[in-house]
Amino acid sequence: MTKMFRKTLLAASVSLAALLAAQGAARAQEATIVFPTNEVGATTYNPIKATMLNTATALIFDRMVSQGADLSYQPWLAESWEEAPDGMAWVFHLKPGVTFHNGEPFNAATVKAWIELFKATEGDNTYMVEAIASVEVVDDATVKFVMSRPEPNLLYNLSSTFMSVVEPKSYAALGDDYGVTEVYGTGPFKLESFAIGQETVLVRNDAYAWGPAVAANKGAPKVAKLTFREIAEDSTAFLELKTGGVDMLLSVPSDLLGEITAEANLAVLTLPGQDVWYMPINVTKAPFDDILVREAAAKAINQDEILASVFGGVGSVADTFLISALPESQVSDSAKIKYDPARAAAALDEAGWAMGPDGVRVKDGQPLKVTLWTQGDSIFRRLTEVVQAQLKAVGIEAEITTFDSSMIRDQYKTGEQQLAVRSYNWDNADIVDWFFGGDRLGYPNVSMFNDPKAEELRTAAMAGAKNMSERVANFTAYHEYVLTQFPMAPIYQPVTSIGYNTERLVLPSPLNAPSFGSVAFIDMEVKE
Amino acid sequence: MTAAARPAPAVLRAFRRPVGALAGAWLLLVIAAAIFAPLLSPYEYDIQTLKEAYQPPSAAHWLGTDEFGRDLLTRLMYGARTSLSVSAIAILISVLCGMTLGAAAGYFGGRFDRLVTVVVDLTWSFPEILIALILVAIIGPGTTGVLVAISVAYLAQFTRLTRAQIMTLKGETFIEAARSLGAGSGHILFRHLLPNALAPVLVSAMLATGDAIILEATLGFFGLGAQPPTPSWGSMMSAGSALLFKSPGIILFPGLAVAITVIAINLFGDALIAALDIRSRMRPPQ
Repeated sequence: MTKMFRKTLLAASVSLAALLAAQGAARAQEATIVFPTNEVGATTYNPIKATMLNTATALIFDRMVSQGADLSYQPWLAESWEEAPDGMAWVFHLKPGVTFHNGEPFNAATVKAWIELFKATEGDNTYMVEAIASVEVVDDATVKFVMSRPEPNLLYNLSSTFMSVVEPKSYAALGDDYGVTEVYGTGPFKLESFAIGQETVLVRNDAYAWGPAVAANKGAPKVAKLTFREIAEDSTAFLELKTGGVDMLLSVPSDLLGEITAEANLAVLTLPGQDVWYMPINVTKAPFDDILVREAAAKAINQDEILASVFGGVGSVADTFLISALPESQVSDSAKIKYDPARAAAALDEAGWAMGPDGVRVKDGQPLKVTLWTQGDSIFRRLTEVVQAQLKAVGIEAEITTFDSSMIRDQYKTGEQQLAVRSYNWDNADIVDWFFGGDRLGYPNVSMFNDPKAEELRTAAMAGAKNMSERVANFTAYHEYVLTQFPMAPIYQPVTSIGYNTERLVLPSPLNAPSFGSVAFIDMEVKE
Repeated sequence: MTAAARPAPAVLRAFRRPVGALAGAWLLLVIAAAIFAPLLSPYEYDIQTLKEAYQPPSAAHWLGTDEFGRDLLTRLMYGARTSLSVSAIAILISVLCGMTLGAAAGYFGGRFDRLVTVVVDLTWSFPEILIALILVAIIGPGTTGVLVAISVAYLAQFTRLTRAQIMTLKGETFIEAARSLGAGSGHILFRHLLPNALAPVLVSAMLATGDAIILEATLGFFGLGAQPPTPSWGSMMSAGSALLFKSPGIILFPGLAVAITVIAINLFGDALIAALDIRSRMRPPQ
């Protein structure tokens, strides 16, 4: 062995050792996360245009306002704000020194340009800025929204991921590529790569120093790189977590909770849910054009049995259309829709549907047969089979049709549905308007509900309130009226269960946020 | 022609081989279970008893219960009804249509033959599952959709096979003899050509039925087949896949049923090929 060769070998092994050490350190600052199954397949990170955004969106962008665990509004890119006494103007004082990922500054002019872009975009999200008549730049750090009507829900809208602050110049320049090939926000992470339906890689924004008020860490995040994977099958995702392929699952179905807690290095973090599972009833399709038949179908649903048998007792039953954390869910007891087989049977008798010999009710020689639509995901199919059996118990024979989850929205647009099993994820009362507004028949208004009195109450709820307490009162009245018309049956409210590897991650506790989003990822740590 | 071309005794001869007998016995057992399911089982396949969900195998429930407390063995037997009948009927339709098309194309030739060949080759170039998925998407989920989808997916195979057989046989001397005796096209096709082309098509249909069971199970797994509460092996496996850790039997038993049945069909098909002596008969005439 020559001296030269030995030296080279030594140098090589030293550098190899250094490389391995460096890799270990890099690995320690990385985390791999699996999106919730209902976020799989998001096609863009364009918050203005998308109707579905995944969790990573909340890390690329910041918002004007943040929300605490108690749903109170807290500063973020806006340090403070004032609302005019008549609700016709809002002034926001912006945080100084904030820059976008592409180096552009964030200031009053950016806010003006962004809101104008939002207003000029035709799409489902435009309603969020509808009440803003114009935006005035007072000075570099102060911006004034001139309103066309009071909008008590403005702070909620400004805290929503759909009102993530985009960088207006690149947004205009990139067109439809914005959010797909490139995307620039002011958030704690920058987009490194995005493969639709597969994975999103984010890297830390080292310049970040403007975290939301509710985050403990105001500086750059502690994790250098986040890889978000899209895995549609819960069991596959669980196996990845179990074998160390990923570090965290953002949603764990109740079936797998026991499996996770049984592993020594895995744990579950439980947060309040924002989902409601329900059965829309198409009010235009016979026999459901008869309110008595709708009431019977709605009261045939045994929510407690479903909670226990399908969801293993995790979560709670739903008896209104809204999650129970919202004040607008506090409707009068008589309006709540609860399991009442005796009333269901009485309503069907009253409507002329007499019990037939084979357990199916009959009227004028016609059996009470209806269709029940569901989507292919296994939990939907399981829930739907129980719903089918519960309807059968009061004499309604429901025939199940399963659609691919990506196709079902188009199917609803045909208006051919009678009953369906679905879920939504939202934490504001305006979801009642979204799913039951008379101008959205088919989808989102799967129930095809278009009632003159409801429309009156809806207008008052959406645009007639001058302040928050008025808005709550108006929305409660609207929500309550909708419930009494039985365009749907509420079923279940889940909790959000996050499964993670305790040997790899330290999650913030307690988490001062309504959901596992930007605050959680800013404060999250990876164990060295 | 000799007796070797007649499939009925060949089926019996296939039973004489040990592998053929074993495979055949399993198939008979599954078919019997499917036909006599209501008599064999004390349970209903669709009545939910949620309190008895996820039970392991026991004397009362030989294979345990599913997520709704329904007896798994009962569901498996009723599932065999769906899976076997849909696959078999679909292949039967496919064979009938395929033989008609293939015979006409092979016998008459010309433009019609070219048209059929182009269409068949085009569908042949796509995987069966893709054709089936597209058709189910158009027709809509349910048994009818799956039936049509499987029939169309395997049409190309039988059309090609029949056409090739007819083309080979057409030039044989016995056909020439029949023609010179004044036999018409119909007589030659139905009395001479098709009976001789039948054996290979039947064996191929037998093997395709195995594939069709898998295809039916795949479509069922995606929720596109028979709709609940009607069980099919595919939809049972799909429900079980989410419960793999909680109650493995729900996916295991229908999975085994599909696997063993398909293997049995293939083994029996092999025995049938040997009994029919097809390989030696397929050699070109010396």
